[in-house]
Amino acid sequence: APAAKMAARSGGAAWRRGWLPALQFVRRGSKAVTRHWKAMHFQRQKLMAVTEYLAPRPAVPPRCLAPRKETLEEDDGYVRLLRRQVEEVFRDNRMIAICQYNSMPDEDVVLMRHYLRKHNIEVKFVLNEIVRPVLSQSKYKNLLPLFVARNILLVSPETKAKEMLRVLKGVPQINLLGACIDDTILSRQGVENFAKLPSLEASQGQTAGALALLPSQTSSLLQRGSAHLTALLDQHIRRLQAGETGSPAEPAPAQSLGAH
Amino acid sequence: AGITFPERPKLKFMDKVPAVPKVRREPRQLRDIRGPSREATDFTQGQYGILALGGGYLHWGHFEMIRLTIGRGMDPKTTFAIWRVPAPSKPVTRKSLGHRMGGGKGPIDRYVTAVKSGRLVVEVGGRCEFEEVKPFLAQVARKLPFPAVPVSRRGLQQMRREEEEKRLNNQNPWTFERVVAANMLGMRKYLSPRDLQLKGRYWGKFFLKHRV
Repeated sequence: APAAKMAARSGGAAWRRGWLPALQFVRRGSKAVTRHWKAMHFQRQKLMAVTEYLAPRPAVPPRCLAPRKETLEEDDGYVRLLRRQVEEVFRDNRMIAICQYNSMPDEDVVLMRHYLRKHNIEVKFVLNEIVRPVLSQSKYKNLLPLFVARNILLVSPETKAKEMLRVLKGVPQINLLGACIDDTILSRQGVENFAKLPSLEASQGQTAGALALLPSQTSSLLQRGSAHLTALLDQHIRRLQAGETGSPAEPAPAQSLGAH
Repeated sequence: AGITFPERPKLKFMDKVPAVPKVRREPRQLRDIRGPSREATDFTQGQYGILALGGGYLHWGHFEMIRLTIGRGMDPKTTFAIWRVPAPSKPVTRKSLGHRMGGGKGPIDRYVTAVKSGRLVVEVGGRCEFEEVKPFLAQVARKLPFPAVPVSRRGLQQMRREEEEKRLNNQNPWTFERVVAANMLGMRKYLSPRDLQLKGRYWGKFFLKHRV
């Protein structure tokens, strides 16, 4: 800081000859530009503290406002790929079961996958934020409430509900929430009932048998009258042959013929 | 798009001593470190560069380090680099060790170039992205004697815009330049006459980025 030093003036002679400054600054200490951070005068420090930058504060502090949900729809290629995969899954497979997934030990997961794979059932882990938009745009709107919290999809081109239920019963951490089998949405009860039904082949065989039953009876129905007649005639002939020996056999075929 | 490649893509070799070495020893003149830079503050040919955020002297060792590091990091076929600082020309003296004060000025030890804050040191350009260039530019920037950052054209524009915004939306009614210009409370007794232009953002060779 420039410290003042009163010049010792030799009377008024110097003052008359020329002029000498009243204040002579004494420059002490280091130069203006130093390698180290030069210590500021306290007044300068105070000035720097007073003239610091004050950021503008919003009228309402951001804490009071509701948190803005960042709807950054960047539409990654990865997200698009996952969506496409989900759509394919819904298109290709006949049976889709949605189960709640609680954390399982990894080896149990692998075992469960193995058993399901034997019955040609695939296990797919899906992200809700990808599945929800896909479902809301497709016809499976009623499956939307199921996709909350962690869940997995068990998909299969064949409908083997009984085996699936058996496997899932052995795994307590996975709970069946619902299923979409052949475009019909079933709840848990519905899936159990569906499992109790006989398999498709058996039921097809049953239906075919039931349907074929009537045509098989048609020929016998049509022939029933003539068959009855032939039977009666045969009986009559036998009775006549037997009645040749005795007479009481005669009114019997007449009675039976009259009753007929 | 509109990028002119220089003849040689790599950085030119800078001499330790200028072609005509100076005989007369020059005074120190530390004012060539102080304050903001007036030259080489904007990009010319390249797209990315190293911006000095403080004052200092660059000597031949620094030049070699920059030249070699950038030469190792960039691909001469697709990118180029140019110097934005001149070769060392200012002689700096040094007295031999272990002697007492006095006996005249020491002999010339080396030559340096003065760099003020806000000056670009090197520029890199060509068919490349900032992310590719940033690693080795940051490496160089760390080793310089003054604080430096790698910047792109857009980054520099953004920095300047932010500074301007800060200056405009400062809620503090008392700014350094206002106090100094009006000499409030006799502050100029404790400040240098240069502080009128420096406005409290510079102190010695340091650039105070957070001020105003």
